[in-house]
This record gives sequence, structure tokens and C-alpha cells, in this order.
Amino acid sequence: MLSRAAWSFVLRTGGLGARGTHSPGDAARSEGRMPPYTNCYAQRSYPMPDEPFCTELTAEQRALKEKEKGSWTQLSPAEKVALYRLQYRESFAEMNRRSNEWKTVMGSVFFFFGFTALLIWWQRVYVFPEKPITLTDEWKARQLQRVLDMKGNPVQGLAARWDYEKKQWKK
Amino acid sequence: MAYPFQLGFQDASSPIMEELLHFHDHTLMIVFLISSLVLYIISLMLTTKLTHTSTMDAQEVETIWTILPAIILIMIALPSLRILYMMDEINNPSLTVKTMGHQWYWSYEYTDYEDLSFDSYMIPTSDLNPGDLRLLEVDNRVVLPMELPIRMLISSEDVLHSWAVPSLGLKTDAIPGRLNQATLISTRPGLFYGQCSEICGSNHSFMPIVLEMAPLKHFESWSLSMI
Repeated sequence: MLSRAAWSFVLRTGGLGARGTHSPGDAARSEGRMPPYTNCYAQRSYPMPDEPFCTELTAEQRALKEKEKGSWTQLSPAEKVALYRLQYRESFAEMNRRSNEWKTVMGSVFFFFGFTALLIWWQRVYVFPEKPITLTDEWKARQLQRVLDMKGNPVQGLAARWDYEKKQWKK
Repeated sequence: MAYPFQLGFQDASSPIMEELLHFHDHTLMIVFLISSLVLYIISLMLTTKLTHTSTMDAQEVETIWTILPAIILIMIALPSLRILYMMDEINNPSLTVKTMGHQWYWSYEYTDYEDLSFDSYMIPTSDLNPGDLRLLEVDNRVVLPMELPIRMLISSEDVLHSWAVPSLGLKTDAIPGRLNQATLISTRPGLFYGQCSEICGSNHSFMPIVLEMAPLKHFESWSLSMI
């Protein structure tokens, strides 16, 4: 049942999938076209959009486009730049420029680290109960001696690291 | 028992646990290899300015990364099943001990020859002797002969519990109305600690298990003294 629904979806959109459903008017476009929002201007991942940036040209710009049809050696550098700006919204350098966003992000991250540290500190002072007696140094020493006496984990663990002849940790 | 800053398992005190340690090493190595490969590929993906937006299919690599994980899974499953069947081998136990889980203590019955049964409650922190392990010590330890196979029959009188001793590779659920069997054998004398491993109420964390594995003579004199 699911496969039939999927197949009828494919037939309805003429193979375009969800794109075809959402923009049925553009169904006449060919398969290789990108969705409309990337056609407005270039992106680093799609640097040569299908449509030029400026579609409404003044008389002067139309004359320039006519001149472009001839030999490009006749174009001056300023005209070449003007034609480029007609075709593309941003140059590669402008498109790939860095930003200061990372400073905002890192600042917010560190701020929340600090805030969390304050919360944890408050919790330690006002919420946590007394530590049990077994965490005092004296108790821990006796406990360690007891575990060594009973040879707990003698193969690779604790007692394996104690030298019973020299009564010290193995080097 | 566990010791501070321990990273891996406790040392094995039974042959099955030794097998499990080796199996864990084998599987963890595979896991590390896969994880480092994936991390490396992720770092490659994230550190390039190149883009490629027209990938249609990749049949060769798709085949490889379907067949290879299947082979890896088989290489993990075969040792695992081997150990699973090894645990169920016939071993002629010399002794049978029954343990019943209660809320919130264990009771033990040695009924092969005489009737010996006792309860085993955790010693509260305030009653510990200096050097004892908090939340692990019990008033009556389970004394057993070392180096002999022992049949443990495990069940429960009320809710689900689980009788676990990690250094012997044992964990068996205690289910009311059901008898579960586990085989216990220790290669070494000493004390082996475990804790209840199935949530059973408010004091689930406070019903530990302590096995005292001793030479047969010591076990015999202890059981005489306990009757």
C-alpha cells in the first residue's frame, strides 16, 4: 500500500518529487536546475547560478550586453567588471569572506560554562550532604591495607602493583 | 572488589570470566578501530573547501560498507556464542547452594547434607569496622570451597533481583516463581564482592553479596559451626 502511494506520488510530480509538488509552475524546467532560492545569487557550493543577477537592464546595460556578443578583446576592464556585476551578485572574494560570528559563539559558550560553574558551586555549598566517614584519609589507608592483605585483583589490578617483599608499590 | 581509578573489569577469578575478559578485549579493539576510522573520515569531511553536489550513486563503496560490517559482526558473534555455550557445559558440581532474594537482603540455604540457612544483610555505614568497604560488607558472608564447581540456584521471594559477582563473571536474575541455575567456580581464595543487579525498591543499592572462597577444610569447619 505504501509502495503504491509512493509510486502515484512519483507519477503526479513527473519525477520531480517534493520539488514538483511545491512549485508545480516550474515543472517545465529541466531536471538539473537548482531550487529557486539558490538562483538569486551564487553560493560557495553552487558558484555558477543558472540565472544572471540583474535581469532588468537599462538601455546602457543592454548596449553593453550587445557589445559582449562581439570580441571580448574590445571590452575595457571597467566594462568587463560591469558585465561581471550584471551576472553575479558577489565576487568570489566577497562570497567567501570571513565573519566575526565565531567570537559571539565562543563568548556565549564560555559565559554559560561560567554560569554552570556558579550553579554547581552553590549546589556543593547548600545542597550536598556530609561526606561519609569512609572517605577520610585514615579510613582509605586502612581500606587499602585490607585490600592488599586479601590480594584483591592480584593479576593486573591493585594487588598486582604492590611489591609484597619490599612492602612498597612496584616501580 | 573494585579499586579506585579502575578502568576495566576486575581481575578474573574463574575460567569463564577469563574468557569474557579476552572476548571484551577482542570486541573493544574492533570498536576502537571502527570509531577511529569514522572520526578520521568525519574530520576529512569537515576540513575541506571542496564541494561536490552531483553525486548520483556509489555502487562499489556501498557494496564494501555492507559486506564488511556483516563480516565484522560475524567475527564478534562467533566468540560470543562460544562462551555462551561454554557457560552451559556439564561440570558435575560438588555442592548446591540456594540463594533467595528478598527486599532487601539475600538468604542462603545449604541443604545438601544438613539444613543450614541464614540471611545476609548489608552492614550499615555507621556500624563498619575501620577499613571495611562501604555499602559492600555483609554480616554473614557466603563461605564456599574454592576450586570446586558449585551449583547456585537463584530465585526470589518477592520482586525481581539479580545475583551478581563480577570477578567470577556471574550475574543471574532472581525471579519469583522461577529457579535459575548458575555454576560458580573460583580459582583463588579470598573475598569476592557483588551487588544486587535488578532494581527492586528503595534499598536496591544496599543488598550486596560477599563470597568467601576458602579451602575445603575451612568450609567444612565453618558449616559445622553454623548449623
